[in-house]
Amino acid sequence: MMHEFFSNLESGLSKAIGAGEASPRKIYARELARLGTRLYGGNGGVAWCGITAPFDLLNAMGVTSCFVEFVGAMLASTGVVGSFIEETDHMGYSSDACSYHRAVMGASRKGMVPEPAFLVGTTNPCSGGLAVIENLARRFGKRQYVLHIPQDQSGGNVRFLAEQLRDLSAFVAAHTGAPLDPDALRRAVSNTNEARALMAEAYEFAKAVPSPVATKDLANYGIVMALFLGTDAAVDIARAFRDEFAKRVADTRSGVPNEKVRLLWIQNRIQFKNGIDDILAREYDASVVIDELNDITWDAIDPDEPFEGIARRSISIPFNGSIANRVAHLKKLAREYRVHGAVNPCNWGCRQGTGARGLIEEGLKEIGVPVLNLEVDCIDSRKFTEGQFRTRIEAFMEMLAGRPSPWS
Amino acid sequence: MYFLGIDIGSLSCDAVLIDDDENVIASSVVPTGARNRESIARVSAEVLRDAGVDRGAVRATVSTGYGRDRVDDRLASVTEITCHARGIAKLVPGTRLLVDIGGQDSKAILMARDGRVVDFAMNDKCAAGTGRFLEAMARALQVDIDEMGPLAAGAAGRQTISSMCTVFAESEVVSLIADGTPVNEIVHGINRSIAARVAGMVKRIAPDHGALPAAMSGGVARNCGVVAALRGALGCEVAVPALPDTVGALGAALIARERCAAGAAAV
Repeated sequence: MMHEFFSNLESGLSKAIGAGEASPRKIYARELARLGTRLYGGNGGVAWCGITAPFDLLNAMGVTSCFVEFVGAMLASTGVVGSFIEETDHMGYSSDACSYHRAVMGASRKGMVPEPAFLVGTTNPCSGGLAVIENLARRFGKRQYVLHIPQDQSGGNVRFLAEQLRDLSAFVAAHTGAPLDPDALRRAVSNTNEARALMAEAYEFAKAVPSPVATKDLANYGIVMALFLGTDAAVDIARAFRDEFAKRVADTRSGVPNEKVRLLWIQNRIQFKNGIDDILAREYDASVVIDELNDITWDAIDPDEPFEGIARRSISIPFNGSIANRVAHLKKLAREYRVHGAVNPCNWGCRQGTGARGLIEEGLKEIGVPVLNLEVDCIDSRKFTEGQFRTRIEAFMEMLAGRPSPWS
Repeated sequence: MYFLGIDIGSLSCDAVLIDDDENVIASSVVPTGARNRESIARVSAEVLRDAGVDRGAVRATVSTGYGRDRVDDRLASVTEITCHARGIAKLVPGTRLLVDIGGQDSKAILMARDGRVVDFAMNDKCAAGTGRFLEAMARALQVDIDEMGPLAAGAAGRQTISSMCTVFAESEVVSLIADGTPVNEIVHGINRSIAARVAGMVKRIAPDHGALPAAMSGGVARNCGVVAALRGALGCEVAVPALPDTVGALGAALIARERCAAGAAAV
């Protein structure tokens, strides 16, 4: 069923793109559909991973890989997540646990998660994600490799993680029967660096006032692009966004017409249909111009030291290390993108969302950027009450309208 | 010319009619019930009848509350957060901190000196600490909700009630009644439960709230026991206007007048 869904989606998007209806978002969605088609193709060789797994290394080794949260987001976006989440009530998950993880575990119980060849867990950004990997490893009787991601960028920590990545490549080779080809890795690193540079350019365009970015444009972009790193697809997607934003800036065309309010979205988007894009654009001339995870926090990877470069990237993500680092990063984004306010969905049961909420709010308030703390389950639409959600969003926008811009 | 504010809450539907000089000409409160369009028509008719004003003399209507988009022929719909802040600034000038406990949500609103909203917090996940919560407790105690206010008088204040879940709290109350706990102690515990929940929101948006002039609006503000518990939890005086139910509708009417004065097309 899933293979058919992704296959149909891919052909539909290919048809539209071929008919001259190409847009960056369609190109991006087509690659996601292709990934889904490979994941659910029944050809084996799949690896379920943690979010900070080295996907360019895995792509270089010919492994179709994906982080498990992708399944939760996909089920939420298609509106069928509820029954999968309910499944996990039978397996010891708390009803307050993260629904990304409950959804994927429920999907695995219903046969909706393809059997992997092996699994790659990561200790960052989230222990719940690692628990899913361990549960899946046990469920499928497959081996897992756990990458212990250090919390900061010291030289010793980078070497520690780089050594694990070398070891991981041997682990993968033992499963695929094909050792890592240094030329393939070099090509992957080259693609990663090219995509990185294009993404950085697109983000620079996004900072323009008014911004070329509409709320939907870069939803889930940074985090999902990690899956394509090392591939030609990553370069194609990144170039499409860069070119589109460059054109919009040249044409002084903003993502939302008559842009009045610019917002920063903290952590992940709400994955099911919720109407926020329309409320922001139609009623308040507002747009989410930057997401916390849409940033390049890592240097280009030295092709002669790929493992060290990948290690630095994994350590660099904003969710790693102290909350002070995360707050400093959010303040940097708020300043660079000149946002008027920030929205923090505070996903239920999420380590990143719960403990950090007060510190994030305080930090952004210090620079005059108010934060709307929502308490929503970003995956489980059954917990969503539209009226309550709408009132919070609208009250926040009314409040922003009554205060001076922090950048005037 | 007149300006109409309508607040369609989950429990009550309130309307306030003001004149060009911001004088309240009439106000009305009716139960919202299951058919809120009928309630809107009824409360509008009542307030116009009481004021002796023809509908044609109403220059603009602004709606608020959860059913704000159900009002036809409105100039605008504005959230209850903004409207309550605007209304209390008129009724209790100088208010900087407003607690509004409505039927299904409670809000703490931090205001600037001119009545603008600076920050706000709302209850999440559960209706504990709201009018519905109080309604459920009154049902469990088998008393009329309007009579609950004075019932905590004389309580020693030893009883606590869950502030996290309405259903569990109702079960607690039933158990306490069965155990023979005096009603005043139970009601006092209920009031403290609501106050604790709301005080948590206040402290989130205004850690130094003690020095800020505070007020309360919404139907629950008519309950003197809850107000007293809130004063205790916040450690400060909490002003309550004469008609706390209609603060949101008044704010909506004032916003209608302001927008017309600013040149918005009247409806």
